[in-house]
Amino acid sequence: MLAYRSQRVAYAYFAAALVLFALQIAFGFLALAKYLGPDPLLDTLNFATAKSIHTNLLLVWLLTGFMGSAYYLVPEESRVEIHSERLAWIQLALWLGVGVTTIAGYLLGITEGRKFLEMPFVLKLGVVVVMLIFLYNLAMTIRRAGRFTTTEGVLLGGLVGAALLFLPGLIPFDNYTLDRFYRWWVVHLWVEGVWELIMGALLAFLLIRLSGADREVLEKWLYVIVGLTFLSGILGTGHHYYWIGTPPYWLWVGGFFSALEPLAFLGMAVYAYTMINRSGLSHPNSVALHWTLGSAIFSALGAGILGFAHTWPQVNQWTHGTHITTMHGHMAFFGAYAMIVLAMISYTLPALTGTSDAERSSRLGLWAFWLMVGGMFGMTMALAAAGILQTYLERILGLGYLETQRKIQVHYLMWLGTALIFSTGVSAYVWDFVRVGAPRGEPHTLGEAT
Amino acid sequence: MTKATTRRFFFAGTALFTLVFIGLTLHTHATIAARTHSDRLDERVVRGLHVWARYNCENCHTLLGEGAYYAPDLTEIVAQRGKGYLSAFLADPSAFYSEERDGRLMPTLGLSPQEIDDVLEFLAWVDGIDTNGWPPRPILVTGEAPRAPPGAEPHVDAPLPGDRGRALFHGAGACAGCHAVAPGVHLVGPSLAGIAGTAATRVADPSYHGDAKAADDYLRESILDPSRFVAPGGNFATPEGRSFMPEHYAKTLDAGQVDDLIAYLVTLR
Repeated sequence: MLAYRSQRVAYAYFAAALVLFALQIAFGFLALAKYLGPDPLLDTLNFATAKSIHTNLLLVWLLTGFMGSAYYLVPEESRVEIHSERLAWIQLALWLGVGVTTIAGYLLGITEGRKFLEMPFVLKLGVVVVMLIFLYNLAMTIRRAGRFTTTEGVLLGGLVGAALLFLPGLIPFDNYTLDRFYRWWVVHLWVEGVWELIMGALLAFLLIRLSGADREVLEKWLYVIVGLTFLSGILGTGHHYYWIGTPPYWLWVGGFFSALEPLAFLGMAVYAYTMINRSGLSHPNSVALHWTLGSAIFSALGAGILGFAHTWPQVNQWTHGTHITTMHGHMAFFGAYAMIVLAMISYTLPALTGTSDAERSSRLGLWAFWLMVGGMFGMTMALAAAGILQTYLERILGLGYLETQRKIQVHYLMWLGTALIFSTGVSAYVWDFVRVGAPRGEPHTLGEAT
Repeated sequence: MTKATTRRFFFAGTALFTLVFIGLTLHTHATIAARTHSDRLDERVVRGLHVWARYNCENCHTLLGEGAYYAPDLTEIVAQRGKGYLSAFLADPSAFYSEERDGRLMPTLGLSPQEIDDVLEFLAWVDGIDTNGWPPRPILVTGEAPRAPPGAEPHVDAPLPGDRGRALFHGAGACAGCHAVAPGVHLVGPSLAGIAGTAATRVADPSYHGDAKAADDYLRESILDPSRFVAPGGNFATPEGRSFMPEHYAKTLDAGQVDDLIAYLVTLR
């Protein structure tokens, strides 16, 4: 049962997020097929287009998931209805409009060609408008309630930070080095900075609900974790400033602070494990429990450990621009951000659709979890093998790029095999979501008393 | 430790490291012009950057190691392959590569001659950026250098000129990126298998119209002034007869290095 009627808008955000997630995977397969070659779509839908759609859909569906999560979480934390449910619907429509226009534009070859920020300028302004509506709506909700918890504070901090850090991406530079320098303000300070606040807040919210742990204790440690995130992540941006024309002191600054970056992720894993361990996995929604704990552990591996594996400058000078990055990128995004959104969807679905928690411990839901986790682990291993071999053959022995690609083809086959396992998991998750059914009629609410 | 303590840790730490980051950013911003020789950043380079962006190049290629991993890194491409070859390649990639033979092929993007000139100006400018020594050794598009394991291979300061030349050919000089030394393997340039004998017969051939009188002079001329004489056959020159080989070696190699290279090439019999 929903605590507040207007929380129901989260369902639409989550449904949209899952559609975009499925599309992201489809374009991922298209790009992967091109690695295996030959490419019948070479002159109609080339790799660059398929890849930019794949990565942009990732960002869009995750942000859609964050927005839905915020619209679910803020009313519950502040104990009040959303300021304007209508505005939340308008925001979703605008957001999806901008997203669909962007993807259609890519298919027609309209792009700004900056990895992750390919969206044309006008549409970027559209994103700014959506973010303004979103933050206004949340701020007004909290203002009306007059109750502001640490958890939602951290969430809001992350969302405001994400909106502000999008702005440097709007500035054009004639100097390629400066273009790169400020592009990382968006990309790095998002995924290794403010997005971690969003993740930390969602994790704290889920842990409070799932483990029944004491809020004071949880929020105390949440400050430690997000404190470590910024302590390491802000200057850790330096690991992108080794070889792009920036001064050599970044080698020291980036190397040292990047080495600290895993601490925040490891902190989250220990934090989640301890809290869940204390309550003894007793919550009936075991699918949500799996995704929550899984996210904390997988992000520590993918974002923390695998990131650290190649941020040290003496290693990075050989691995920079190889599949080592692909390996880290896939597991990091999945572990830290995809899994926490899937955890939020799994946790909130019973309330949103008026079903019971016990139904959510479905076998299909658990299959989806293990297939996705197993598939992503396999993809990471296949990409690690490809990346290590590429680094050795191409960068150290000096074999040509094309000859090296031929020698690592077998790892692309393994990538394909494990990606099939992963996508089976995605299908299972989506089917499980559809099977529960859309919310019908007026939502049941517990009222203001809770 | 109370929640108030950890809150202070968060706010104080974040403020401190944000300030340090902004300070370093200001300093970095001020040094970029010198480190990227921005005096050479003219309107052609800027137009080239826009071509690079408009055609979404970095979602296949990497540049300074940044981008996607589906196509080769282009940081040093102009120095390695020269503008002549790259212009012809960009106009029609399928004239030089095939999916069957090479596994990958660049799509034909329909770039105008102006766009090709601009993007090559841009890439040449990028090559001059001070990258703190990256890449530590050249990244090649093609080429299968017959190399000994690291450590057992000749070094650029080996005592014998031929060994030094071999190290230069397969290493820092990146000659192996365009020339194979195995018979019949034509990359961007012709195979140099048996080049010692070929050079000797060519200077004696009546159709040769360069200045060299002996095989080693012929090799020197080919390195320092590649278009002086272009051997007939193969797809190694523009329709106007300009060799695809870069013309910067007279400037970038010193006389000793050229001697070393020739000492190595004459061993290819």
